[in-house]
Amino acid sequence: MDKSRRRFMKGAVAAGGVATFAAGYSDPLLKMGKGVTGSAGEKPNHRIHDNSLVPEYTVDPQSGELTLNPDQRVAFTVCYGCTTKCGVRVRVDKATDQVLRVSGNPYNPLSSDEHLPMRTPVVDALRGLSAYGDQGQQNRSTACARGNAMMAQIDSPFRVTHCLKRVGGRGGREWQKISFEQLIEEVCEGGDLFGEGEVDGLRAIHDHDTLIDPENPEYGPRANQLMVMEATDYGRSALLKRFTMNAFATRNYGHHGSYCGLAYRMGSGAVMDDLAKNAHTKPDIQNARFILYVGTAPSQAGNPFKRQGRLIAQARAAGTLDYVVVDPGLNASVSHAADHNRWVPILPGTDSALAMGMIQWLLNNEGYAKGFLELPGQPAADAANEATHTNATHLVIDTEGHPRRGRFLRASDLNQAEAGSEADVPMVVADGELVASDSVMAAELFVNREVALADGETLRVRSSMTLLRDAANEQDLATYAEHCGIPEDTIVDLARRFASHGRRAVTNSHGGMMSGHGFYAAFGMQMLNVLAGNHNRKGGSAVGGGQFNGVGEGPRYDLANFPGKRGPQGVFLSRSRFPYEKSSEYQRKVAAGKNPYPARAPWRSLAPPTLTEHLPSALDGYPYPIKAVIGCMANPIYGQAGLEALIADKLKDPKRLGLFVAIDGFLNETNRYADYIVPDSVMYEVWGFTSAWKGNLGKMTTACWPVVEPRQQKSEEGEPVSMDSFFIAVAKRLGLAGFGDEAIPDAEGNLHPLHLAEDFYLRAAANVAMQGEPLPAADESDIVHAGLAPLMPRIERTLKPEEHGPVAYLYARGGRFEDFKDHFKGENLTSAWKRTLCVYNEQVGTSIDTRNGELNRGVPFYSMPKLADGSAMREVFTEEEWPLLAFSFKSNLMNSYAIGLERLRMIKPYNPVMMHRQDAERFGISHGDTIRIESPGGSVVALALVGEGVMPGALGIEHGYGHRDLGATPHVIDGESQPDLEWLRAGININNLGFKDPTRSVAGTWLEPISGAAVRQGLPIRVTHIDV
Amino acid sequence: MDPIRRSLLGQLARLSAGAALVPLSSVANAGINQQPPRREGDPTKRYGMLIDLRQCIGCQACTVSCHIENAAPLGSFRTTVAQYEVEHQETGEVATFMLPRLCNHCENPPCVPVCPVEATFQRQDGIVVVDSDRCVGCAYCVNACPYDARFINERTQTADKCTFCAHRLEAGLLPACVESCVGGARIIGDMRDPASQISRMISEHGDELMVLQPEKHTMPQVFYLGMDERFVTRPHAEPVALEVLDPHGKEMGYEFHH
Ligand code: SF4
Ligand code: SF4
Ligand code: SF4
Repeated sequence: MDKSRRRFMKGAVAAGGVATFAAGYSDPLLKMGKGVTGSAGEKPNHRIHDNSLVPEYTVDPQSGELTLNPDQRVAFTVCYGCTTKCGVRVRVDKATDQVLRVSGNPYNPLSSDEHLPMRTPVVDALRGLSAYGDQGQQNRSTACARGNAMMAQIDSPFRVTHCLKRVGGRGGREWQKISFEQLIEEVCEGGDLFGEGEVDGLRAIHDHDTLIDPENPEYGPRANQLMVMEATDYGRSALLKRFTMNAFATRNYGHHGSYCGLAYRMGSGAVMDDLAKNAHTKPDIQNARFILYVGTAPSQAGNPFKRQGRLIAQARAAGTLDYVVVDPGLNASVSHAADHNRWVPILPGTDSALAMGMIQWLLNNEGYAKGFLELPGQPAADAANEATHTNATHLVIDTEGHPRRGRFLRASDLNQAEAGSEADVPMVVADGELVASDSVMAAELFVNREVALADGETLRVRSSMTLLRDAANEQDLATYAEHCGIPEDTIVDLARRFASHGRRAVTNSHGGMMSGHGFYAAFGMQMLNVLAGNHNRKGGSAVGGGQFNGVGEGPRYDLANFPGKRGPQGVFLSRSRFPYEKSSEYQRKVAAGKNPYPARAPWRSLAPPTLTEHLPSALDGYPYPIKAVIGCMANPIYGQAGLEALIADKLKDPKRLGLFVAIDGFLNETNRYADYIVPDSVMYEVWGFTSAWKGNLGKMTTACWPVVEPRQQKSEEGEPVSMDSFFIAVAKRLGLAGFGDEAIPDAEGNLHPLHLAEDFYLRAAANVAMQGEPLPAADESDIVHAGLAPLMPRIERTLKPEEHGPVAYLYARGGRFEDFKDHFKGENLTSAWKRTLCVYNEQVGTSIDTRNGELNRGVPFYSMPKLADGSAMREVFTEEEWPLLAFSFKSNLMNSYAIGLERLRMIKPYNPVMMHRQDAERFGISHGDTIRIESPGGSVVALALVGEGVMPGALGIEHGYGHRDLGATPHVIDGESQPDLEWLRAGININNLGFKDPTRSVAGTWLEPISGAAVRQGLPIRVTHIDV
Repeated sequence: MDPIRRSLLGQLARLSAGAALVPLSSVANAGINQQPPRREGDPTKRYGMLIDLRQCIGCQACTVSCHIENAAPLGSFRTTVAQYEVEHQETGEVATFMLPRLCNHCENPPCVPVCPVEATFQRQDGIVVVDSDRCVGCAYCVNACPYDARFINERTQTADKCTFCAHRLEAGLLPACVESCVGGARIIGDMRDPASQISRMISEHGDELMVLQPEKHTMPQVFYLGMDERFVTRPHAEPVALEVLDPHGKEMGYEFHH
C-alpha cells in the first residue's frame, strides 16, 4: 500500500451515503428539543433486541448443530433486482407468507465467494452461512442493497393486482378492474372495445395466409402485425418466445438490448465473428494483471454486479491487479483505500479516439501478441496449443469498385478450391508467397500488394492487420488525444502498460459505448483484446461456462419443438438483418432508374431486431403498420433517449395502434398507454430459469419457483394471473399449437399438456436436472431445509416418478451449478471461444450503408458522433449552442424500476447531476445550485453537484430517477386513486434529454448507425442557473 | 493538511487501535473510569469488528440489510456507508473513499455513563445495548456518542443503535451487515478467541489498523484496514444531498424526516 497517501479529501463531498447520516442523526436532536419522554412509543418485541427479526435457525457454536425455526422457511430462488439475476435465499414467515429478508444462495456463483459443490447437503450449506467457525464470513453469499430492498415490491401500494381495462383515452391513467376471462375474450376477439370504433383482436391478426402488403411480399404475413416486447429474459422468456415466435409466429419480437448496451455487444460480436448472437467476454479478474475498463465499472454497476464487485475488491486487497477505469465520471470502482487503481476521465462519446490511439501505439511499437496473431489458421493454432486463431494475416480484396471488395481473397479466387467448399480458405502471405491459410504455421501480418488472378485480373489486397494499421494511422495521436480529452502521454502510458502485461492484460466495456459512433468504439476497444491475444486465456477475456439449457431438446422433454410449430417469416419492423438491396422498394427504385440511396429510413443488415426502431417505425407505418402490441415488463419510453417526445402522441392514437396489452406488476411510463393490464407475478412468485450473463467461468443455471404465493388476482380456474397464464389462455382460445393438451413431447414422443405455468417450467427443470450426469434424488433433510414443502406436491403431480427426486434436488439448491474448480488447462481456459477472432470483420466490411450505398468499414476507425444522414452531430448541434455533453451512468443502488423502494430512496432520494468545477465557473453555477438542462429534445431541472469527479465538458446523470410513473403520478383504478407520493418524481432521467434525429424522414430518435442502439452518451446540452 | 499534523494524527490513531487490542478479561466487569459495571452477555467473549476498506465497494447492502433485519424506521440507520471524493495532492487524480460506520462498541463508551436510568449499558461481551424497558428516550446517549451512532426510534421512542445483531450472534449466526457484505469487507468475531478470523486479522494487520476519533479515548472496537488517517476524525464535509428537487425545481425536503 502506498503509505504516503497523497490524495486529500475534497472540500465538497461526492455521492451517496453522506446524506443518510445527516438525515438519520439530526432527528434525535430535534426530538430532544421537543422534549420527548419516551412514554408514547410502541413497546418493542424484546427489551434488548427490539423488533429485530427472529433468526431463521440457530447453530450451536460448539457442535455446529443446526435447528430450524419452525415459524420460518428458507428457500432458494432468483432476484429480479437487476439483469444479473443472482440466486438468492429468501426467508419467509410461514404464518403470514411474508418475505422477511433476502440474502445470497451459497450454491450460486453470482452470489457467493466460492460457491458450494452441488453434493453439499442443504443443512450443511445453511450451517456454512452461520458464525460457526467463522464460516459464513470466510465464504459469504450475499444480496446487494437493491437485492435486499426488492422484497418491498411484493406488497407495494403501487402494485397492480387486478386485470385492468382503460377508461377514457390512452395514457389517461384511469382504469377499471375486469376479470381475467373478460380480458382474454376482448383481447382475442376484438370489437368496439372502447367506443372508439372496431379493433382487431388477436384472432383476426393471427393470419398467416394474407400478406401485409402484396407490393412488398417480403414483409411477410399479417401475423407480423402483432409486436411482442419484453424487458429482458428474467427466466420466463422461453415461454414468451414459444408463443410469440412459434405459436402465434410473428416476426416482431424485441427486448431492451437496443437501449441498453447493443452498441457494445455488436462491437464485441464483430471481433468474435458472431453478429448473430453478439457474443461477448468478461475479464478473468482473478488472474488478470491489468484491466482497462472503458465505459463500464465493476462494483459501480455492470453485470454480474456482485460477482465483479467482490472479485475486484479481493484483487484490490490482494494487490494482484492493476486496473484503470476510463469514464466521463468518477464512480465507486476506483478506491482510495488501495493502490493500483485509477480513474481516467474521458469526454462522452469519444471512445473510438482512445481505442484507435492505443491501437496505433501498439501497432507501431509491436505491443501485440505477434506470435499468436501470426497464426493463420486452425492447424497452426492447434500446433501452438491455442483454442483459436485470428484473421490478422488474411488478405482482404481492396480494389476500389470491385464487386468482391471487402471479401477475403480465398483459394477459389485463385482456382485452388471450389467456392464455398471447406478448402476455400482465406489466403495469406508466408515467406513472400501466396498460400492457403490452413497450409502454413505462420504468415505475414502486414501485407499490401497486388495479386494476379487466374483470369489475369489483378487485385489490390491488404491484410487485415494492414487495414487496421491504416485505420489507426488516419489521425495522429495528438488529434486522438484532443478529441477524447485524454492527454497524449496518458494514452501512451495506458497502451504501454497494457502491452507490458502481455496476455494477462484485458479490456472491457459496456454501456459507455451507447454513443453516436459506439459500434466502432466498442469494436476498437475489443480489438485491444485481440491484439493482446488474451481470449481463452487465464487472466484474459473469458466467454464463461454457459448454462444447462432446460428449454431446448432436453433429455426428458422437447421444449423447443412441438407439433404444429411455426417459424416467423418476413422483415422485422426495425428493418434489421435484411439487406435493403433485397427489398421490393429497392428493386422498384432501381427499375425506375432512381437512385435507391439513401433509403427512406436506415436498413441495418447487421443489427438484430431493435426495439428502438420497432415502435416508432410501426407507428409511422414504415415498412408496415402494426395492429397490436403486447409488452411484458418493457419500458422503452423511460429507457430510450428521446422516445417519449417522439411517439407519445402517436401511441395515444388508436388508429395507429389498435390494441396494446401490457403484462406487468406495475404501471410504468410505457404501459401507462396500454389498453389492458395483465397483473403479473413479481420476483419470488415466479417460475423460470436464468444463467450468468457472463463473468462466471463455470456452467450454471439458476432456478426459481414461487416461494411465496403470488398476490394478484386468480383466474376462474384458480391460477394466478401472470405472463404465463396470459399466453397460455390466449393460445388456447385461439387454438394455437404448442399450448393446451398435447403440447409438450417427451423423449419417447408422448405428448404432455401445457395448461399451467408449472407444466412448462417443471419439465424444463427435469431437463436441467437430468442432462449429462443426472442429479441424485433429494433426501428428506434437503426438502425440509430448502423449504420445498409447498413445491413437492406440484412436482409430484406434474412429473414422472423418476424425475421427482432429481428435480427436488435441483430446486433444493436453487439451480444447477458446475462445481467450483480450476477452469484452466495450463494457461488456457477450459471453456473456449473457437471461432476465428476478427481483426477485420468480413460481414461488416461487405455490408452496405443504406445512407449512401457505400460499404461499411470492416475494421474499427475513429469518427466523431454522427446523425442518421451522416452529418456530424456537432455540425448540427454546435458547441457554441450546446456547450456540454450529457452522459448517463448506472447507479449502484437504483435501477430503472426500483424508485418505489423506500429503503433505496432513503439512502439516495434522487440524483443531483455531476458537473466539473471549471464548467460550473464558466456558467456561473455553484455547488448545490438549481439548474436547467436543455437539449435539442427536452429540458429538465436538476441540482448541480460540483466537483472534480467528472470530465470537464461533460455532465453526468445517474440512471433510475426522474420517473413519471411507477407511482410518480397516481393512477385511478375503479374510481380510487393510488397514493400520491411526490418523492417518486424526484430527480431527472437523461432520456428526457434525448431528441428526434432531425436528419431522418421516418421519425426516429438519435440512433447509432450500425446497431440502431439508442444514443445516450454524449447528448448535446446547455445549462443555466435558475432561481426557484 | 501539514505533514506534521498528519503523522501525529496517524500515530494517535494507530496507538489507540493498538491499545484497545488488549481486551483484558479482568477489566471487563470492573468498568473503566466512571463506567457502570457490565452486565449480561457472555463474559468469555469480546466482540469487535474489522472493516477492510480496500474491499468495501460502497454498495450499501449492509445499510439495507441491517435496516430490514432490525426494523429501523425509514430514514433512521444503525449503519451507513459514506462515499467521498478525494484528490491526489500532486497529480490531481481523483478517487472515491468509502467509509462504513456503525456503533464502535467502545471499550470506554461515553454513551453509557450519561444514561440517567442505566438503560444503556455494556454487556460483558462488549456489546453496548439499550434496555427499551428502561429507556425514557431522553437522548442523552444520542448526544454523548461522538460517532452519531444512535437515534431515537420514532416508533418505540427509545434510543436505538447497532447491537452487532446480538440476537443473531446468540443464535450462532452473523449480523445482517456482515452476512450481506458484498465486497467481503466486514469481519466480526470474538477477539478473545485467538483462533477467530478477526483475531488473526488483527494480529496480521495490527499496525495498519485505525479507529475513528482515537483522540476521544473511547477506545472503539471497530477497526479499519486501509484507512486514510485523515478520515479518522470523520471529515466535516458538506452533505451531498443538499435538497431533493421535484421536476419543476421545487425543493421537496427529505421524505423520511420524522
Ligand atoms: S446484483 Fe443485486 S439486484 Fe442484481 S440480481 Fe444480484 S442481488 Fe439482485
Ligand atoms: S459508538 Fe457511540 S453508541 Fe457505540 S459504544 Fe461508542 S459511544 Fe456508545
Ligand atoms: S456491504 Fe460491505 S462492501 Fe457493501 S458498502 Fe457495506 S461494507 Fe462496503
